[in-house]
Amino acid sequence: MTNQVIEKIQAKYPSSIKEHVEFRDETSITVSADDFHDLASFLRDDEDLRYDLLVDVFGTDRLKLGHKTRFAANYELYSIPHDRFLRVIVETNDPETNGSSNGTQSLEKSALPLLNQSELPSIPTVTDIWSTADWLERETYDLVGINFIGHKNLCRIMMPDNWVGHPLRKDFPLGGEPVYFNHDRENPRFAHLGKPLIVGPSYETKLPEEMDPEKNMVVNLGPHHPATHGVLRIALEIKGEKIIRALPEMGYLHSGFEKTGENNRYEKFIPYCDRMDYASPMCNNLAYVMAVEKMLDVEIPEHVQYVRVILSELQRISSHLIWLGTHSMDVGGTTHALPMYCFQQRELILDIFEMVCGARMTTSYISVGGLRWPLPGAFIDAVNAFLEEFSSELKDFEGMLTKHPIWIRRLTGVGHLPADVAIDLGITGPMLRGAGVPLDLRKIRPYSSYDQFDFDVPTATEADCYARYLVRVEELRQSMRIIEQGIEKIKAVPGPYRTPNRKVALPPRSEISTSMESLIHHFKLVTEGYRPPQGQVYFINENPKGWLGFGLISDGTAVPHRLRVRGPSFVNLQATDYMARGGFVSDMITIIGSIDIVLGEVDR
Amino acid sequence: MGLDTDVTVPETGTKTGEAGFVIATLEEAVNWGRSNSVWPLLFGLACCAIEQISVGMARFDLARFGSEVFRASPRQADLLIVSGRVSTKMAPVIRRVYDQMSDPKWVIAMGDCASCGGPFNNYAIVQGVDKIIPVDVYVPGCPPRPEALIYALMMLQRKIRAEGTLGTRE
Repeated sequence: MTNQVIEKIQAKYPSSIKEHVEFRDETSITVSADDFHDLASFLRDDEDLRYDLLVDVFGTDRLKLGHKTRFAANYELYSIPHDRFLRVIVETNDPETNGSSNGTQSLEKSALPLLNQSELPSIPTVTDIWSTADWLERETYDLVGINFIGHKNLCRIMMPDNWVGHPLRKDFPLGGEPVYFNHDRENPRFAHLGKPLIVGPSYETKLPEEMDPEKNMVVNLGPHHPATHGVLRIALEIKGEKIIRALPEMGYLHSGFEKTGENNRYEKFIPYCDRMDYASPMCNNLAYVMAVEKMLDVEIPEHVQYVRVILSELQRISSHLIWLGTHSMDVGGTTHALPMYCFQQRELILDIFEMVCGARMTTSYISVGGLRWPLPGAFIDAVNAFLEEFSSELKDFEGMLTKHPIWIRRLTGVGHLPADVAIDLGITGPMLRGAGVPLDLRKIRPYSSYDQFDFDVPTATEADCYARYLVRVEELRQSMRIIEQGIEKIKAVPGPYRTPNRKVALPPRSEISTSMESLIHHFKLVTEGYRPPQGQVYFINENPKGWLGFGLISDGTAVPHRLRVRGPSFVNLQATDYMARGGFVSDMITIIGSIDIVLGEVDR
Repeated sequence: MGLDTDVTVPETGTKTGEAGFVIATLEEAVNWGRSNSVWPLLFGLACCAIEQISVGMARFDLARFGSEVFRASPRQADLLIVSGRVSTKMAPVIRRVYDQMSDPKWVIAMGDCASCGGPFNNYAIVQGVDKIIPVDVYVPGCPPRPEALIYALMMLQRKIRAEGTLGTRE
C-alpha cells in the first residue's frame, strides 16, 4: 500500500524523493526544501493520497547523526480517508548569507549568537496548505531555529521574546544550575550562594501586528486568570462585547521536556511524562512506553496489555471528570457544587492508582516491557466498587447538566468548529468527534489490545461546546464498558506482568540470586539501559484530550537523539481564534473549558 | 510538639467577672484572626495546582482551616501558593502578582519545582521560586499530597501567630 504512495509521488515528481526508509512499518521520505511546497499540496489534494491531517511538525538538529545537512524538519502526515501515515523529512536550505549555521559546525564554535531570521536555515512554509502548521512551525522556529519562509507571524512562541538562542539545538547547553536551598541567606556559610531577587529587566510582550489597540479595545486574559485552566494568556480584541480576534500566547509553563528527554536515557523519561499532561499521567506513560517499545520491537504479554487498557481508561474517566467539574464551574455552575462531586469521584480513582503504584498523580507505573510491578490483589475489587458507584453518580451528573437551561444556553451554538475546519487545524480527540468525524485511534489503529474490546466511538454533529460535552460524557460511559471487559480479561489471564525479553525488562528478583545470566542482564540494564537500533519512530496514543504523539530518533545509543512530544492540547488550542470570533467575551471561557487544555502539555 | 499544640489558640486570655470577657494583647488577637482566615490566591501553575484544587474539595476540605476562600484577585489575597514549576517566562509575572498582593502576605512554595527546581534542572525553569520572591513555607513532594499542603498551612498559621503585627515586614 505504501509503495503505491511512493510510486504515485515518483510519477509526479520523479527526482524529489532523495531517500525512502521503511522502519517499524513507518514510511518516511526525505525531500529537499525547494521541492517541498509543491509536493505538500500534491500530498493533500491528490485523490489517492489525501493526507488531510498534518499531525506534527518538528525540527531536528542532526549534528551527531552524520547527515550532510544539519537541520531538517519532520512532517508527520495522516490521511483520514485512506488511514495512512507518512513522514516527510525536509532538509533545510542553507541561509543566504553564509553557510556556517548549517552543515558542519564544531560544538565549541557556537557562542549562541542572536541570528536574524534570514541567517537561519530555511524551509518554505506550509501554513497555506495545512493551517495546523502555523503554531507548529513557530515552535520549530523558536526551539530549533528553522526559518519558515512565507510564514505570516514567525515569532517566538514558547520562550520569552528576549530569549537568545534556540534551546533544542544540540550545541545549546541543557542549562540549569546546581540546586541550592538558598532560603538561608542570613547564614554566612551560604553567603556565596546569594542571588539577586530578579534577574534582568522586565520586557513588554508584543501584540500581534494585526491587532489594533487604537481602534478597538484589547483585553488581556491571563496569564493569571482563574478560568484559563493554568497560565495561558489570551489577547482579546473586542468591540463592545464581541470578540474580533483572540490570540493565545503560551510558554508560561515551558519546562524543556524535549531537551530533558534528549539528555536522559530512554527509561528515565517515563517520570517526566507524568508531569506533562498532569490530568492523565497513565495515558502519557502508555504513549511514551509504546513509542519506545515500537523502537525496540518487543512483544508485550497479554495481561500487561489488558492492564494498560484498564488503567488508561480509568485515567480517561479521571481526566474527563476534571474537565467536567472545572467546565461547569467556569460557566457558572458553582451553585450545584458539581466540581465537588466530580473531584470526589476522581479521588476514588486516585485511591486505586495509589494502591497500584503508591502515587496519586505522578504514577510512572507503566514501564518499558510491562508494568513496574504486579497489580495488588485488591485491584479488581476496588475497580468494581468504583464502577458500581460511578455509574449511578454519572446519571446524577447528567441529570444536573444535560437539560439544565443555563447549561444549554451557555453551551449551545458556542464555539462552532465544523469538521473541515477542524481537520485543517489538526484538531483531534473529542473536539473532532464532536464535529462528526469518528476518528479514534483505539478503533482505527488498535494498540495495546484495544481491538479485543467492544466499545463505541461517540460522535455528535452540532460541533459546538454542547456537542463536545455530550461526546465526552458518552466517552465516560464507554470507558466504563471497556474497564468492565478488561477486568474479566485480567481474571482470565493473570500474568505475567513483564515481557520475558531480558534485554528490555528486568529479570525477577528471585532469578538474580540463582542465575548468572540474569544477574548480568540486570546489571547491564540498570547501568547502561537498552540501545535501540538506529531509526525513527512516531507513536500516537488516543489520550483523553486528543492525539498524544511521541517521536523518537535513535542514534543507536541509550539516549534518544531527538525526543518530540506532540501535545494534543497545544494543537487543539489553535482553534481558539476560529471558535471565539464573533462570540461574546463570556463565551471565551466556555470555549477554553470546552477545548479541555492542560497547560503542562501545551507548553511542555 | 504534637498537632494539638499546633492548632490551638495560645492561652493568653484571662476570664474575669461574670460578664465574661477575654483580655489579650492586641497583637495576639489580630494574629489569631489573621491565622484563621488566610485567603489564598486562586493561582495554579502545574501538576501541584491539581492537588491544590483537591485540597479545596470535599475530601480534604481546606475550609476547616479557614482558607477555602480562593480569591481571584491578588489584592484580596493573603497567601500565594506557588504550585508548580516556575519558568523563566512566568517568573516576572509571579513577581508582579506577588507585588500586587497587599501586606501582610505569605508564600508557600508547593512541591519540589517551586522549592528548588525539582526534576527540571534545565534552561527553562527557575531553580526555585525563592529566587524571585521570599518564601515562608516549603512543601516537599512531587506533587505533595493534599495532607502535606494542609500541614504547610498549619505551619504557616503557627508562624503568623508568632509574628509581630504592628511593625512592617521586611
